[in-house]
Amino acid sequence: MQTQIAAGRVFDFSHAVGRSAASGTGFRHPVAVAMGTGSNASAAYVINRGFEMIPNVHWNRTAVGVRITKVVPGLVSGEEELVTEFSKYGDAPGQVIWPAGVAVDSQGLVYVTDEWLNRISVFDGDGNYLRCWGSTGSGAGEFNGPSGIVIDSEDNLFIADTHNHRVQKTTSEGVLLATLGSFGSEGGLLNSPWGLAADSDDNIYVADHRNHRVQKFSASGEFLASFGSGGTGRGELGRPSSVAVDSDGDVYVCDWANDRVQVYGADARFITSLIGDAHELSHWAKMTVATNPDAVKRRREVKNPEVEWRLSMPADLVFDNVNRRLIVADTQRQRIQIYNKLRDYTPPSRTL
Amino acid sequence: MTSNSVASKDKTTTIDLMAHLMRRAGFGADRDELERRVAKGYEATVEELLNPQGNRADREHFLRYHPGFRRAVTSPGMGASVWLYDLMHTERPLEEKMVLFWHQIFATGQSKVDHWHELIAQVDMFRDKGMDSYRDMLVSLAQNPAMIYWLDNCDNHESGVNENWGRELLELFSMGVGNYTEDDVFECSRAFTGWTISTVPPRNYYSRFDWSFEYQEEDHDNGEKTFLGNTGNFNGEDIINIICQQPATAEFVARHLYNFFVADEPPVPAWSVTPPKDPKAIATLAKAFTDSNYDIRSVLRVLFLSDFFQNARFTKIKSPAEVVVGTLRLVGQDILPGPGIGDLSKQAGYMGQELLNPPSVEGWHTGVEWINSGSLMKRINFVADMLGDTSRPGVQRIIDRLKAQGNLGAEELVDNCLELVGPVKTGSATLHQLVEHAAQHGELAWDTDESTKASTARVGELLQLIAAVKEFQYC
Repeated sequence: MQTQIAAGRVFDFSHAVGRSAASGTGFRHPVAVAMGTGSNASAAYVINRGFEMIPNVHWNRTAVGVRITKVVPGLVSGEEELVTEFSKYGDAPGQVIWPAGVAVDSQGLVYVTDEWLNRISVFDGDGNYLRCWGSTGSGAGEFNGPSGIVIDSEDNLFIADTHNHRVQKTTSEGVLLATLGSFGSEGGLLNSPWGLAADSDDNIYVADHRNHRVQKFSASGEFLASFGSGGTGRGELGRPSSVAVDSDGDVYVCDWANDRVQVYGADARFITSLIGDAHELSHWAKMTVATNPDAVKRRREVKNPEVEWRLSMPADLVFDNVNRRLIVADTQRQRIQIYNKLRDYTPPSRTL
Repeated sequence: MTSNSVASKDKTTTIDLMAHLMRRAGFGADRDELERRVAKGYEATVEELLNPQGNRADREHFLRYHPGFRRAVTSPGMGASVWLYDLMHTERPLEEKMVLFWHQIFATGQSKVDHWHELIAQVDMFRDKGMDSYRDMLVSLAQNPAMIYWLDNCDNHESGVNENWGRELLELFSMGVGNYTEDDVFECSRAFTGWTISTVPPRNYYSRFDWSFEYQEEDHDNGEKTFLGNTGNFNGEDIINIICQQPATAEFVARHLYNFFVADEPPVPAWSVTPPKDPKAIATLAKAFTDSNYDIRSVLRVLFLSDFFQNARFTKIKSPAEVVVGTLRLVGQDILPGPGIGDLSKQAGYMGQELLNPPSVEGWHTGVEWINSGSLMKRINFVADMLGDTSRPGVQRIIDRLKAQGNLGAEELVDNCLELVGPVKTGSATLHQLVEHAAQHGELAWDTDESTKASTARVGELLQLIAAVKEFQYC
């Protein structure tokens, strides 16, 4: 099912972008994605977590493929374009060890969290390193495992301070403004928060990872609502990693451990699941396959091609309001998957 | 030995016995845990180990920070990180020790399989089934994708039999050489035709996909087979049922358990010509195996409660995995799976036991064969680096216990340190040298910040020396 009609919404699979690549046209464990703003509104910034590969070197030199990719996903397959890539593995200024979240402010500046170094790095829209801040601890303004990040309409930052079980609100310079949540499982409390989202009213949505739910807070930090509960069934969540909200108020949750995206209405009613529908190989994946005749043969032998289509532990998603589409970081499959949310759709006649 | 006789011994002896149990049935335990377990009793601890209530390591927590290890790339050693995390963090030590036991017997290697996550799936199966029915374990093993590829059963067809799996099932996984004929190998292999793995897309554009077992009826040889004197239209499960009924299988499993948990035996190929060290013990374990309908938990219970186990202290050389995991658990694990765990997972390999990559299907030669001049240096350096790092929480706990005793003279210091990292029993010459070293800077004092700092450093040094004593290599 590539066009999914549920409760008056239509989600139409668009295309996938990416392939396994430690550099250049592709991704390596994309764990976060954000859309650019202003002149970069057609571009997405993708965090590549990479992987450890090199033993017997100093701890800050062990990983491969770690970088931030700036890519224009295009409207259809074949239009995608690699713009640039920046940062790399390391603990020097401008480098990252465990990049975890990304957000772009109204000026086009790119903020990247690092959940190992406990700092936030800022780059311009072209990837030039500007500055960083962050210190380790549990005190006000300190971080212990900062992961998800989102920016509200006034360019305030909200950062999931995961091991401190809270969300910190700061200025774009890192000055602490407020704190949301604390450890616990009751409404308004958090356990290892990860991805974040903001809606058009600047309400904040938190993927409450270890509580298997999403929590919604007002701009002033008041607990408003909860989405989902633990499990693998309909409408349930398994260690959700991130959340996005569209301009209609629909809420999309990266149901990380269940390999899917869960969609809820603004009233928290469950709408549908998106499980990945990349029936056609991405443009760049096709290029890889074409270079290897055995890969072409093997794909023709596969009884169940479905495994290629599906999401595998997706870690992040973002709603691209310009093009009304959902962009999902398909972490284990080295790509993003894109679903258009169609406004005007007329199904063909039942009698067709 | 009954619990009464254990309880009647003095406290030191009981701690020693509990430490022995935890070294063998787990990866050691620190003093706090040993004292807790002594209070609970020996038999109760054995039962708890056999029917664990604690948590396994949180795999999803690990993958949340290391997504690259879900289906790791080919790079040497890296994919074993997932298992290292399990070994370090499990609260079910015997369950995890049995994973290591089965991995050493059903040795399957990355060198050929080239899919770390399929090897991880195999050890996950050992974790799920390792203490239950051996018969069910063999069926799961025969259906395990990594094993099917490792021993070429995916190339075992009705039209052309490949004997690799069939042979090793009999030779290395169940009965041992001398208990079957070449005809049995062929007939056994015929019964496993059609047991194969599904075809998955290639790895090079969207990363690796998971293999799965597939039974292809059309490729299975449905003809009559004669195996170990039985004739019928056997399929793989029938063959495994017949294997389990053989006395040779019971003795084979018993000898493996004895070799792993009690005392080093010669390598498996020598078993057909070299009798067991303790034939009575093997017979006891084999009987438990047969009486319990091949239930491994029942055999382990008999083993841990036996005199031959309880008296076999410091008679085995620690395997590299035991050295690495035991040390990491003793010094205290980092709460998070931090960067660099890939390098950590390679350490056992540097000592001669590359986890998930045994040298052959025969696994590793154990006992004295673990030790050569290179591997010994690696063992000592690794443990010394860890124990000498006084910032680690487990080392801090050792220091706290020493502090609680006030100022310590050289002999008391050495005695206490040997107790707290083991207990380790050394010969008198070694003990003398350790005491001599400890005496160099006088009494260990904790009364000022300066003396605490100096004493902490001295304890770190002493622990490093203890890591280098011969007796520390035994368990």
